[in-house]
Amino acid sequence: MHYVLHYGQIAPYLPYLLGGMLISLALSILSFAGGMVLGLAFAIIRDEGDPIASRLVRGYVAFFTNTPQLVQIYVIYFGLPDFGVLFSPFAAVLIGMTLNAAGYLTEILRAGLVSVHIEELDAAATLNMNRLQTLRHVVLPHLFRVTMPALSNQYILMTLGTSMAAIFGVEELTGRAFNINSTTFRSIEIFTTVAAIYVVVTFIVTILLALFGRWAFRARVPVL
Amino acid sequence: MLGFILAEIPRLFTIYNVILLAKAALTTLALSAVGCAVGLFCGALLTVARLSRRPALWPLKAFAFLYVEIMRRVPFLITLMTFFFGAQVLGFDFSPLAIAFVSTSVISTAFVAEIVRSGLQAVRPSQLEAAAVMNFSAWQSFWLVRLPQAWPIILPPVFAYFVLFIKDTALASQAGVLELTQAARILNTKGFSASLVYAAVLLLYFAISYPLARLGVVLEKRLGAARHSRPGRPV
Repeated sequence: MHYVLHYGQIAPYLPYLLGGMLISLALSILSFAGGMVLGLAFAIIRDEGDPIASRLVRGYVAFFTNTPQLVQIYVIYFGLPDFGVLFSPFAAVLIGMTLNAAGYLTEILRAGLVSVHIEELDAAATLNMNRLQTLRHVVLPHLFRVTMPALSNQYILMTLGTSMAAIFGVEELTGRAFNINSTTFRSIEIFTTVAAIYVVVTFIVTILLALFGRWAFRARVPVL
Repeated sequence: MLGFILAEIPRLFTIYNVILLAKAALTTLALSAVGCAVGLFCGALLTVARLSRRPALWPLKAFAFLYVEIMRRVPFLITLMTFFFGAQVLGFDFSPLAIAFVSTSVISTAFVAEIVRSGLQAVRPSQLEAAAVMNFSAWQSFWLVRLPQAWPIILPPVFAYFVLFIKDTALASQAGVLELTQAARILNTKGFSASLVYAAVLLLYFAISYPLARLGVVLEKRLGAARHSRPGRPV
């Protein structure tokens, strides 16, 4: 029980770890963007699409929000090769995270769509806006203002979720932590350092998203 | 290829494999349930410390604040690995299951503390002022006035978090805990097709999580209705 902490041995690896954080952020940004595109389409289909498409979307959301992202990626990375479909680790994680994010984001965005006042839509119709113009100038600004806190929260959770990419051999922050761990065996120092990097980076991202939301959509996003 | 995989199905559901999967499913549920139960207890303690107005308690308040804000920003996998490798390095001989229980408790304490805090703060100050006017002690106003009103607000999100956390415990397979995901990995190593075992486990997770999620929605409606139908809504 005489263990001495040696953070000094980890210090040389700090740039390597921060480089890993960039890959984590790339993964979270790409999957969030993909999830937003899918989620927005699904939310609109659920809100005003035909009953069959709406049911399909509900099934999709129920399935992806009720199963673990880890096992979804397992199916994509280890299961699909049975049928001759092979992905690189990064692509498999990215696809899995995007599909998973689409499920959660559909729910968030649909709640926002429902909150658009009928008077606003009437006003848009009075101004002779077509559907695309209504979406662009009336629905989306309202949607993002209302859902910004939830979207920001979801993005942070997804950034934390990128750590499971390490399991499939992607060398992002957690993956690089595993690499250093197997060469130095300074486990406590490495994993607490990596935890600190996650805490600091997600905190900065939260503040940036709050500022962005306030600037772009006049949304009130609590930081703490 | 599909034919080969379909032909494996009867072999997959032999009695031993079914017992393995059932035990694994119970472990998955237990990981999330124990995490949330400990989280509810410790989270409530942290929140009471954080909301306390006594100046002497400031170190506890600072600790509660930092714990909640920091632990909610650490990935579950990192917490798990810190405890997993940390126990090895320090020479403790804990089972992977014990380490997973500790990790789930540590993480869910932070998340549940935040839910408890928002629930307790949702009770209107006028209620507590009324309790103070009637000379209730701090304990009485907490136990008789604050908690009964906060409870219906706290319970549905905690239950939703429990259901959400069932899916996160899949990561415990990385520490070698025999829960559903690990069971799938074992079956895969035994020679069953990856697509078959992982799809089967995916469906098992769905079968556990979906009914519980629906139950949570019902619970929320029930408790919400009870809260709003009370005569003379609080000011």
